[in-house]
Order: sequence, then C-alpha cells, then structure tokens
Amino acid sequence: MTLKLIGGLLIMAACSLYGIAASNRYSLRPKDIRKLRSALQMLETEVIFGSTPLPAAMNNVAKKVDGGIKSFFSRVSQELLSGWSYDLDTVWSGAMEELQKETCLTGVDKELLKDFGKVLGCSDREDQKKHFELFYIQLKHHEDMAEEERRKNEKLYKSLGFLAGLVIFIMLI
Amino acid sequence: MSNGKISEIAKYMPKEIKQMLEGLPSHVLEDIEEVRLRQGKPVMLHGDGREYLMGKNGQPVFDIRNAYICTFDDIKSAVSLITNYSLYSYEDDIRNGFVTVEGGHRVGICGKAVLDKGSVRTFKDISFINYRIARQVIGAADRVLRSIMQTDGNIYNTLIISPPQCGKTTMLRDIVRQLSNGTPAMGFKGKKIGLVDERNEIAACSMGVPKNDVGIRTDVLDGCPKAEGILIMIRSMSPEIIATDEIGRSEDGAAILDAINAGVKIITTIHGSDIEDFLRKPSLEKLHNGLFERYIIMSSKNGVGTIEAILDENYKPVRGHLTREAGL
Repeated sequence: MTLKLIGGLLIMAACSLYGIAASNRYSLRPKDIRKLRSALQMLETEVIFGSTPLPAAMNNVAKKVDGGIKSFFSRVSQELLSGWSYDLDTVWSGAMEELQKETCLTGVDKELLKDFGKVLGCSDREDQKKHFELFYIQLKHHEDMAEEERRKNEKLYKSLGFLAGLVIFIMLI
Repeated sequence: MSNGKISEIAKYMPKEIKQMLEGLPSHVLEDIEEVRLRQGKPVMLHGDGREYLMGKNGQPVFDIRNAYICTFDDIKSAVSLITNYSLYSYEDDIRNGFVTVEGGHRVGICGKAVLDKGSVRTFKDISFINYRIARQVIGAADRVLRSIMQTDGNIYNTLIISPPQCGKTTMLRDIVRQLSNGTPAMGFKGKKIGLVDERNEIAACSMGVPKNDVGIRTDVLDGCPKAEGILIMIRSMSPEIIATDEIGRSEDGAAILDAINAGVKIITTIHGSDIEDFLRKPSLEKLHNGLFERYIIMSSKNGVGTIEAILDENYKPVRGHLTREAGL
C-alpha cells in the first residue's frame, strides 16, 4: 500500500511538472518577444544613428543581450565578417536555428523575423527606419497574441497536469 | 603585386564571378583595369585598351554566346558585398554614384535615381556595377616633376586636367609621394604635405594608415569633404602643400583660394580634356585668373598617363618640358 501510494504520488508530481513545463512555453514566449524587440531596438540605434555597418552593429548588440538572441546575433555577425557569405538573407535565416534551441519563439515569430532579414540593410536610412517601425508594430501584435494565449493557457496546462496526475492516482488506488 | 590588387577587389564580387576571375590566366589578370557587371548582359573586362567577355568556363572569350551572363542575384550580392551588407551606411557614397572599397579601388554603381526635392537622394534597382582597379605607379610623375618645381626650392600651384581613366589620380599620388620624400637628385628637399583624400582613393587608408606610398612627410585627412578638409588641414597640420583630388564645387574653389592666401601651395585635379574645359566651369570662377601656375593636361592618346601639355599661368606651354617631349 505504501509503495502504491509513493508510486501514485510520483506520477502526480510528474504530471504536474509536465503541466508546468507546457504552460511555461506560453509564459516565456511574451518575454522572449519583448527581449527580441529590445535587441532590435538596439540594432536600430546602431543603424539609424550610428550608421554602423551590420556586421559590427550586430556584434555590438550581441554584447548587450543574452540567451538565444545573443547567440543569434553573434552568429550572424561572425558569418558576415568571415566573408564567406554572399548575402545577409541566407545568413540571417540560417542563424535562426539558434533561436529554435534557446527561446520559446514560435514559427510565426520566426517567419516575421525572417521577412525582416530580407529588407535589413537593403536601403537607405530613412527607409530602414520605416522597416524597423513596421517590424515593431507587427511584433507588438504577436506580443499581444502571445500574452492572450498565456492568460488562457498558462493556468489551464498547470491544472490539467495536476488533474491528470490526480485521475491516474485515484484510478491506481 | 597586381594579382594582389585583383584579389583585394575580388572580395567584393559575387561568388561565381569571383571564381571565374581568379581562374583567368595571369597575363590577363595583370592588365585588368575594369570589371563591369550589367544585369542580363555579359560580364566584361577592360584593360590595357582591350576588352574581353568573361566566358562561362572562366576563360576570356570574344563571342557573346560563350559569355557568362550576369544575373539579378549576382548584382544583388555584389551590392551587399560592396556596402558591407549595409546600404544605409554608404548613403552618401551611393548618392555620388560610387563606393571606395578597401585598397582605394572604386566601384561605380548605376540604377534608378530616387529624387528628393529635385536632387538625387539615392539609387534603387542598382543594375550596373563597374569595379575599377586602382594601381599605384611609382614614377608616374617623373616627367612632370621638374616643371612644377620652382628654382628656389618651392613648387608651383598645379592643376592636373584630365578626362576620366587617364591616370590623373595616379599622377597626383606620385607627385605627392615624390614631393613629400624629396628628390635629392634634383636638390629638392621634401615638403610637409596635407593630403585631403575625400574618397580615400589617393592614400587608400585602412584603419587610418595609408596603404599606398604617399611619402614620409604626408598627413592624410581621410574621407573628409574637400572644402572643409582643406581648412582643417591648414589649421591643424601646418602643411606647405595641400593636395586633393577632383575639385568641382564652388566651395572647393573658395577653400583653395583660402589656402593659397594662407601661403600654402596647392596641387589638385579636375575632370576635363583641355584648359578650355576648366575655364568654362562657372563654379570655379574664383580660380580662373592665374591662381594656378602650372596646368598639366593629360589624355590616354598614347596609353594611360599621356602628358598632352604643361602650361604656365598664362596658358602658354612650358618650354623646358616641350623640348623634352619632342626628344622622346
């Protein structure tokens, strides 16, 4: 009986943890989006006010941020500096697998970022500023959606995990 | 040396074209002065008065059917390489129609001009690119040097007049080098020279250090607009001679006038094919009445760097020079 009880409790703990992990995906995404935006704002400052070429600008940004976004920017910067790449677009979308590994950004966020890589650096300052602004507007939209999802799903997954554990526990006993 | 120059500029070319260029026979590579890309047209190489098409197999060809046709992607990647993936940080250069890359080479670009209040703001749809390889020719100024030196060890205010592609920058660079180093054979001691290198072509500075030899008494103001640069030079570096390239705007004229009035000698260049072309430029009116004491007129009649004539302040040929020309 004691063994059964311990086993059941373990199952419950596991299920709750799984629920928490699942809800984390929802609660971390808005945070990551905000981090991405602040990184892009740093890049914008470099581009618009400093007129710094992208390889150096991204290196500067990478120094100031952390996590997946840091590895993303430092990889793009390094690949551009190495001189083996022939356009930014390829490097930019190639480096996005760094985001895959270390952030909770979803496919739609990456799609947006990828599209931004196609216009980054391709026009004069005035035009770049517009692209940045458009990107922020779209990213804000994503952030709102992510926030909405978080509110809906964060609690849901946590309690779902706990309840599933409880059901199995009861059934076992 | 010249292959080194090619690889310096090949860094800025799209992958396929770079590979083909590097595969060319070395006698062709040595002569190349220009590599031209035009979207949807063959890649062309110009050099030493000859013209080749770049073949699909990486050999120079003459038949257009065997030539490599430049694609949209080639141009796109060329533009991003030239501008370090950052068009916005080369805005001013692009407005002028060219970017000077490391090594002092000039890359000309052409496309659709975007206007803002009647003047060119930038180019879009860039589809013509011209890589121009800059080569330093040591001794290019040997034949004119004596004509611009005065007997008292000073020099004359000198204007080099030449159409594009005739070696005027090369000439100016070598004059600067020789005047700065001094020429003991002619009893000429070196002068302090302030070089205002607006487009980074003469000294080809990289990280502030000249890549071309411009002499031991030369200070270089890199990337600074000429008019402003001339005044900064006079104030900061007490030069005896100021050298600068391709004057044309009226503020350039005013700055040069200031320099001459400050007792500084000027050596500069201008686009044109004879003295009349210079006198017809209304923006340089201030400089017309005998401010320059020597005019060196160049062409490419007998190859790049041909000296057509050397004139004095009254636009009369300088005698000493002419006799030597006749002897050649």
